[in-house]
Amino acid sequence: MRDPAGLPGYPRLFQALLVLTWTFHIAFVLVTLGAASLAIYSFSKRETNPDWQRLSIALTKVTKVGVSMLIVLGVAPLLFVQVIYDPEWYTANILSARWAVIFIFALIVGYCLWYAFYYANHEGAKRRARWFAIGALTLFCLDGLVMHVFSYQSILPSRWMDWYAPYGVVDTSGSALHAIQWSRFIFIMSLSAPAVGVFLLSYVEYFKIRPDYERSYLDFVRRLGRRFASYGFVLSLIPFMIWQFTNQSGLGLETNPIGWLLALAIILAGTASFRLQAAGNGCLPAGAGVLVLMLLAIWREVIRVHYLGSVGYTVADYRINLDWPSTLLFLLTFVGVGGTVGGFYITLLYRSGRVRGLYEAERSVASLGTAAVAVLVLWIAVFFAFGLVIWLRHSLVS
Amino acid sequence: MSIIGLYPTFYMPEIGTAWLIGIIGTIHVLASHTSVGAAFLFALLETKAYWDHKPELLVFVKKWGMFLLVFSYVIGSITGPGIWYSITIGSPRGVDGLIHNFVWVWAAEWVYFTVEVIGVYALVYLLGKIDARTHLKLAWSFACASWATMLLIVGILSFMMWPGNERWYLTGSTADAFYNVNFFAHLGVRTGLMLVLAALVGLIITSRIDDGSLREYTTRFLAPVGLCGGLFGVMMFLYYLQTLPNNAAVMLSAHLLPIYGRDMIAVFTLTTIYLATAWWKPRLIVSTVAVGMFLFVGLFGVWPEERMRESMRKPFVAGQYIYGNQIIARDVPGKGIHSEVETIAQEGLLKVHPFIPERLRTIKEQNRLEVGQLLTKIACANCHALEPGAPLRALPDKLFRATDEDLIAAFLRGPLRHGTQPYMPRIDLPEEELSAIAHYIAAVNNGEDVDRVIAAQRMEATSTVGK
Repeated sequence: MRDPAGLPGYPRLFQALLVLTWTFHIAFVLVTLGAASLAIYSFSKRETNPDWQRLSIALTKVTKVGVSMLIVLGVAPLLFVQVIYDPEWYTANILSARWAVIFIFALIVGYCLWYAFYYANHEGAKRRARWFAIGALTLFCLDGLVMHVFSYQSILPSRWMDWYAPYGVVDTSGSALHAIQWSRFIFIMSLSAPAVGVFLLSYVEYFKIRPDYERSYLDFVRRLGRRFASYGFVLSLIPFMIWQFTNQSGLGLETNPIGWLLALAIILAGTASFRLQAAGNGCLPAGAGVLVLMLLAIWREVIRVHYLGSVGYTVADYRINLDWPSTLLFLLTFVGVGGTVGGFYITLLYRSGRVRGLYEAERSVASLGTAAVAVLVLWIAVFFAFGLVIWLRHSLVS
Repeated sequence: MSIIGLYPTFYMPEIGTAWLIGIIGTIHVLASHTSVGAAFLFALLETKAYWDHKPELLVFVKKWGMFLLVFSYVIGSITGPGIWYSITIGSPRGVDGLIHNFVWVWAAEWVYFTVEVIGVYALVYLLGKIDARTHLKLAWSFACASWATMLLIVGILSFMMWPGNERWYLTGSTADAFYNVNFFAHLGVRTGLMLVLAALVGLIITSRIDDGSLREYTTRFLAPVGLCGGLFGVMMFLYYLQTLPNNAAVMLSAHLLPIYGRDMIAVFTLTTIYLATAWWKPRLIVSTVAVGMFLFVGLFGVWPEERMRESMRKPFVAGQYIYGNQIIARDVPGKGIHSEVETIAQEGLLKVHPFIPERLRTIKEQNRLEVGQLLTKIACANCHALEPGAPLRALPDKLFRATDEDLIAAFLRGPLRHGTQPYMPRIDLPEEELSAIAHYIAAVNNGEDVDRVIAAQRMEATSTVGK
């Protein structure tokens, strides 16, 4: 069922890109879900302390931006999984096709509801505004569940025919979610608590030089962040341990070192969140959190490789049809455009956010801006020049 | 026995997956084209504000930016991957083929897409918070990055129509597929459309501005841009028509233009009158009209355009080598791809399809209707609804609700088996599979409750085995 065109690059490269880009995606998923939950909680506590109100408004904005980012960062792993795991991914989707449709519309409705909450969440907001947020969060969680199901169904090929044609009767409705591994789903969702904790610690670190961010408010946020990060990591170990022992037996996953390395990283991240922040270094927990997520991404891939290996599927033997020009297009775009233009935007957002009032770009940032425009103009010029040559060659040939 | 890489079938009654893809695609085109066009108009307006010392223009830019953020980046960014999901469940081998030809192009587009999403937040929220020159660089880089996403996706979309010559089939090179004969014309149409849509959305914002002179100024700025975009788009569309393959030209003249032609001319004329009025008398543009006009163009302009583009490709979904029913239609030596039509003709779909239950692999009297239904879904339902009167090219209607099995089988054995209709795939099946399909279609046209009959036959077969 693999695409007969083969791969225009090495399968291990796509596999590495899949793991790497999923790490970025899940980081934003977890921070967003954690921020959304805490924004709702803070909203309900806003009358007890003005810090809760301020935090709720801030986290509402974080969620708004976070959803955009998790969507865009989700595109890359979605692309790479289709490249090397196309038979598994497509089958898993078709078997629950209606849920793929529901996924899209739930995300649109959920995001619109969150925007409604964003516009409603200000001083003196009515209590009923929280229902927008609760509705949005519920739909986001539903989307998370649907994605989990697609991933899990895709590694169980021996069950596909039972789901598609139970007792030999074909069901083309795609209306059921066939397989859920609750321990895995709950574990990954539970990481949203430490994720928002780690985010809050970085938030404090970032804004501590701004005079309009009072010490008392930042202390309040720091305490909350520490609690969420340290306890969150520790508590997430419970569903993780259940997941460890509910994987398919006979694959040796219980004794695989990557899984236990992940457990160790979770413990270390929890400890780092608790202890290092006490010493005043707010960015280290974020680093530890990223390490946990990278290991999680690798562990997911190890599990997939073992499950599919048991039925004889390996990405290593995917037929290769190398295509260097398009590979070069990606690499140059990634480095040139991603590095320069993306770098310019992120630098601007970062630097201007740390200044109260108007930010005047330093010389280096201004030069980066000029370079960003120049790189894009050059990219478009090369795109057209190269295209014109190919297109003329086609016209002359035909 | 050969097994070919077909997937399970998802069937959506009445509208099929084609309409689902079309609905999501139309919403996406409206949102994404608006955002790309608006990015340029943003940059232009901001440049004017800077050079002509008109800071009040930035108020409009900010308002427009917020609208853009909510409309284009909430709806557009979700419906983009949404199209992928809908194609995945409706046409898995089609999207698989595209991905394996263009994965690096899509990955490059993803880089732009990421940059664009970060950029739109920076653009809107840093307006007035950073120095003007730096913001101008931000605005122009954002406009270029937005257009680059369009440049990259149009090559893939136009390859879906056809490569335009034999070269790609021989080389398998992504560049040969991407810069196909259709590419520049298609890019021109979409570039024109993006300016029209951006102008229409811009007029919604201007119509809500209280300051009369600012409203007049911005309206007079947007209207001619929309008019020029529309004119350019139409010219490129006429060129685009010259770059189509034969099957698309036949489909267009025989089926599509008679339905959509007059509507599209009406949309163009009304939009032109509307934009000219806005240019001439800006104060006549009120919000309800502006919103109505945008929805009108979406419903009666973009929706038929997307439907036509999808329909014209038939019987193919990608590069004139993958049929709508997911079967590989021809050899592509450059990629080592082999046609599957002949294998299916020799062995039959029931033998080569991996997702056929064992009890249905052999046709018997008791399962002929059930097999016929399944085969019809596999071979036809990507383009045709199976219910009489359904909106998606209802198969019973296309066969004039014929109840004569022989008559239906004659069509299957003739034009369909030999692939003589340019917009239909060549479906060459063994005799018993053909007659099972004919049997099923005749039963549907006869008004039988097919699902109930199948269930009864299945029960009967089970009880016979039990005895």
